[in-house]
Amino acid sequence: MNTTIRDEDLILYRYRDGLDASRLAEIEAALAASAELRERYAALERTLAHVDALPAPEPDADFNARLWRQLEPRIAPRPRVQRVSWSDRLREWLSPPRFAFAAACLVALAVGVGFYAGRRSAPNAPTLASADADAAAARVLDAYVAAHLRATEGVLMTASNSDSAELLDGNRELAASLVEANRLYALAAARAGNTQLADFLRQIEPVLISLANQQQSGTVQPSEGLREYLNSTDLMFQVRATQARLERAGAHRT
Amino acid sequence: MANDEARWVAQASAGDAAAFRHLVETHSSALFRVCARITGDKALAEDAVQEALFNAYRHLREFDGRSAFSTWLHRIAVNAALEQMRKRNRVEDALPEGEEGHEVYENAFDAPAGPDRHATSAEIRRDIERELSRMSTIERTAFVLKHHEGQSLEDISATLSLSISASKQAIFRAVRKLRAALDPLDIEG
Repeated sequence: MNTTIRDEDLILYRYRDGLDASRLAEIEAALAASAELRERYAALERTLAHVDALPAPEPDADFNARLWRQLEPRIAPRPRVQRVSWSDRLREWLSPPRFAFAAACLVALAVGVGFYAGRRSAPNAPTLASADADAAAARVLDAYVAAHLRATEGVLMTASNSDSAELLDGNRELAASLVEANRLYALAAARAGNTQLADFLRQIEPVLISLANQQQSGTVQPSEGLREYLNSTDLMFQVRATQARLERAGAHRT
Repeated sequence: MANDEARWVAQASAGDAAAFRHLVETHSSALFRVCARITGDKALAEDAVQEALFNAYRHLREFDGRSAFSTWLHRIAVNAALEQMRKRNRVEDALPEGEEGHEVYENAFDAPAGPDRHATSAEIRRDIERELSRMSTIERTAFVLKHHEGQSLEDISATLSLSISASKQAIFRAVRKLRAALDPLDIEG
């Protein structure tokens, strides 16, 4: 009787799926009647038990925090950008949070330049106050650039993964808004002597510009080249790695 | 519990980021596990989870509550994991032909088992992991969905866009490969 029971039947019997009630009953009867079939079924059970014994893949402790950091800028409501007058644009610039970003960079820049100038005029006597100001400026810059890179990563991820024309339109606008900030941060990083960060931010700029200048909705074709570029380079990884490094540095300085 | 979740979903759907964060934190580990089992790569799994949650957020209003929210999320996550694999050119366009596959398994069954084979659980684990990594993405995914996720053949077929028969064959191949890797002499067809 068991010659009619194949391994496939035993697998379906094990999962109680894909067999009708009469076939299940047949297999059950065959198992009761045949030691050889029982051994085959036991071998199957042993194999699956070994699979069950594998440790389940678990995320690391920072997974949820990292996940949310990356998701948050992507799900934030993005009002559509409309043509605005220069006065409106100026008002927008003077309102938080963009003004806060720019102000923070200017503070970082001013503190950095001031400290640099002070150190040049009195090379043997750096004061404690200027050292504190220097550390504070670096901390502020790190925090804002890390936030900027989070937003940049969200833009890259959306560009790389989404086929939704509506979403890509919003993404284009967000990319456009990041270009200016990116330049500002690159400048601030260069002035603060962090040439590595400045170079990296300059490397991102053409990608952001390319994203900002993509054609409007209707076709996903323009995204393909960019996707291929993102998939074939480690830019996304570098954005994440730099962001993580800045966050670590910020925490270390606190 | 279900009512609580329905409330969180409704709030998230209305744009409440905190409610969505609650849903993320509730389900992210389970999503990571299924994605990691499918991709065999923690970094890819993390990307898949992020994409899945982002897609889920965009389509929250379309969740009609007919299935459990976790079921809905898992389906999105499985698709995101497959998409990640596709991007890495690891997904086969189609299942291998049956005849060709049978030859492989028959050869595997004939392979002699060494006397010291599977002496330790670490070796068994290595063998299983190696075999899982060698499987086609379709085979591994069908097996993961059946064995670890407990999904029905119908659901697996819908997720993988395969016929039920093709889904069964994928699971059969996966199980038989595992058996062949662990104990070739155990199996007689």
